[in-house]
Amino acid sequence: MGSYLLRRVLLMVPVLLGTTFVIYAAVYALPGDPVQALAGPDHMVTPAAAAAIKAHYHLGDPFLVQYWHYLVGLLHGDFGIDLNNTPVSAVIEASWPVTVKLALMTWVIEAVVGVALGFLAALRAGRATDIAVLGGSSLILGVPYFITAYVAQVFLGVKLGWFPVSGTDDGWPLSYLVPALCLALLGVPEISRLTRASILENLGADFVDTATAKGLSRARVLVRHVLRTSLIPVVSMLGTNLGYLLSGTILIEGIFNLPGLGYQVFQSVQQHDGPTVVGISTLLVLVFLLVNLVVDLLYGVLDPRIRLD
Amino acid sequence: MTPPPRGRVSRRTGVVALCAAAALAAVSACGAGGSEGTGTKVPGGSYSIGVPNWYIAHLTPGKAGFSGVADAIWTPLTQVGRDGKVVNAVAQSVQSTDQRHWTITLKSGWKFQNGEPVTAQSFADSWNAAAYAPNTMSNGYLFSNIDGYAALNPASGKPATDKLSGVQVVGTDTLKVTLVKPLSMFPYVLAGTAFAPMPKAAFKDLAAYDRLPIGNGPYQVAAPGLAPGGQQITLKRFDGYPGAKGKAAQITVKTYQTDATAFTSFRSGAVDIATASGNDLSTASRMYASQLVTSPTAAVVYLGFPLWDKRFTDVRVRQAFSLAVDRKAIVTSLLQGHAQTATGIAPDVIAGGGGTDCADCSYDPAKARQLLAAAGGWNGSLTLWTKQDPDMQTVLEAIVNQLRTNLGITSISLKVQPTDQIYPDLLAHKTTGPFLLYMGAAFPNIYSQADQLFGSASGTNVTGYKSAGFDALMGQAAAATSTTSGMQFAQQAGRTAMADLPLAPLYYPVSGAVHAKKLSGLQLGYLGDVDLSSITVR
Repeated sequence: MGSYLLRRVLLMVPVLLGTTFVIYAAVYALPGDPVQALAGPDHMVTPAAAAAIKAHYHLGDPFLVQYWHYLVGLLHGDFGIDLNNTPVSAVIEASWPVTVKLALMTWVIEAVVGVALGFLAALRAGRATDIAVLGGSSLILGVPYFITAYVAQVFLGVKLGWFPVSGTDDGWPLSYLVPALCLALLGVPEISRLTRASILENLGADFVDTATAKGLSRARVLVRHVLRTSLIPVVSMLGTNLGYLLSGTILIEGIFNLPGLGYQVFQSVQQHDGPTVVGISTLLVLVFLLVNLVVDLLYGVLDPRIRLD
Repeated sequence: MTPPPRGRVSRRTGVVALCAAAALAAVSACGAGGSEGTGTKVPGGSYSIGVPNWYIAHLTPGKAGFSGVADAIWTPLTQVGRDGKVVNAVAQSVQSTDQRHWTITLKSGWKFQNGEPVTAQSFADSWNAAAYAPNTMSNGYLFSNIDGYAALNPASGKPATDKLSGVQVVGTDTLKVTLVKPLSMFPYVLAGTAFAPMPKAAFKDLAAYDRLPIGNGPYQVAAPGLAPGGQQITLKRFDGYPGAKGKAAQITVKTYQTDATAFTSFRSGAVDIATASGNDLSTASRMYASQLVTSPTAAVVYLGFPLWDKRFTDVRVRQAFSLAVDRKAIVTSLLQGHAQTATGIAPDVIAGGGGTDCADCSYDPAKARQLLAAAGGWNGSLTLWTKQDPDMQTVLEAIVNQLRTNLGITSISLKVQPTDQIYPDLLAHKTTGPFLLYMGAAFPNIYSQADQLFGSASGTNVTGYKSAGFDALMGQAAAATSTTSGMQFAQQAGRTAMADLPLAPLYYPVSGAVHAKKLSGLQLGYLGDVDLSSITVR
């Protein structure tokens, strides 16, 4: 277990290095001129001012030198300074609570709703409930979630006036509920279908028959034996879903004007603000890797047969 | 700016449980609450306004964008009145005999929001800081006509000095300014935010000032200003303001990533004022007719021609393109009436605008085809360009169809670029076809539009137009003895340029803003900006 953990953590280092490099290269390759983007489209930049900007942000250096400067800073825990002269770490510090709240809420909705629907559908396989869940999830998968978001915003926020339309003024949880629901639509169909398939597979397994033969109640068999075993693939799916979810926050936070990490990334891409994009993306990759590690460790807890070594 | 609460999300397991419980509770509880506008507990009232991010991204005169927020925080030497005329604000007088050497005297009694008096030195300090290249202030180029700018912006290396030699402080209330070239419009230029004063306190920490500025305008930014990654600032009425005081006591300025989100927030009641453009303007005129204020914008949307491309050197080709565009159809069907068809480079909301200088701005497909045939017809494909903007893209698609039908050019494609790419590409002559762009007047006088669009030194002269006749007339306009006579020369210059048709003006956009029922007195500036201080809360 200990050596497994050490190996996994060490493996994260090349992955992180690789992703920062790729993201840095992608931002570097964005069309447009960062100096001009910084000054504003209609503004003129004198050669001296352009030189000062370039020197400050190492924009004039070759790509690899720029990347090296960034990496050295990152290893010292310094995310750099964005093009507005704010430390990127300050931007991250202000934005992460918003994204964490949104992501966790979404995750919980995905897990609770997805597993519950899958469970129901599996128990009623082939009947109306099952067909409704399958059909409903196809429908949800077919509609892009940002369209659902706009519709929900206008319908739930403007027409019915039940929820705030944008911003975080109404605090947690009210401001986050509609965005989280919309974002959860990304994962609920997958989770429910996976749960359903997994439960159906286990319902016919020998250990379930054994449990029933022992005289355990139906509910106990379903929850302790069938559901617990069936959740193993679901847990791994929930882990990878976090990746989609974090990228989904870029759109959702934009639509609902939530000042989280995704919002900042979107704005920074528009402004060619490389340091912010790379800093936040690196952070998101790190979170993604850590969550995957936690998920893999959870395997062992859910299924004692799986040994991590 | 209230930072988002943080303590609650420290422990994961706790949050998971809390999340699920609260989600259920919220569903049942929220029906009663919904969203409300900001409260009206402050005497004088308060309201909120939704604005784009860039309005408050930088709050230093040398960096701030042109906006109603900047106008509320600072009051420069002069101001542009509702009628488009320039009036003195902090200035007692702005005088010159040769339009090159200007003497500016200040009124007494003006103070910054921290109590520091506004002196001639406050202006000189601010201007020097903005023009000094290593400060990389984005409005710095606006000082290029002041003597000594070149020394602060050398072609290479660090500037030897950090003071504009053309700005001399003579006593506490007199400023002498020497320009590189005469400019009769200088009083208009002084009304820009870039020319606002800054107090001594600002220079202790310019980065901190940029987020929590101290101005001399009717409203002051309340501490802590704009937090990193923040979304809003609060403005409080400055009671020591010697000019017309702000009507509301407090204004919350909320930023939105898109205008559409701001408008949706207005519809739900989360903000009291939002600007409306494009589709939202049509929605607003249907649903909020009594709460909508519209005004023609001192700007023009035009189809520019790449004069470096030999296919467009013949004026008849340019005329054919201009005559083939049905401006009226674009305005009535596409923009649903929220624009005016253009007959020149500026509408009549600014001094000297509204002229019918453009003879080829009518719709005459038959004549267009004739002209194109006479010029040798069209061979090969055509690419049209515009910047990333949904309205511009829709309009350009219509133009593509009209050119296809009316000129018989079969192979037309459309390319869209980000704003920070299209301008550099145009100036480098890399763009391979006509382009649809917007140009707003820097100050409300036809001189500004003519200079920005066609001036040989202008960074926004993207067609590459160069005309000795135009330059001579603009020179006369700059050296004229008054803004009025300068304006007349600028009109003549505009007519000269329009005869050469380096660009085809299409329409003057209309800007709009919607306000909550509790507000009255909303007025729009010449570029569609909301005047924050004139709004009354009922």
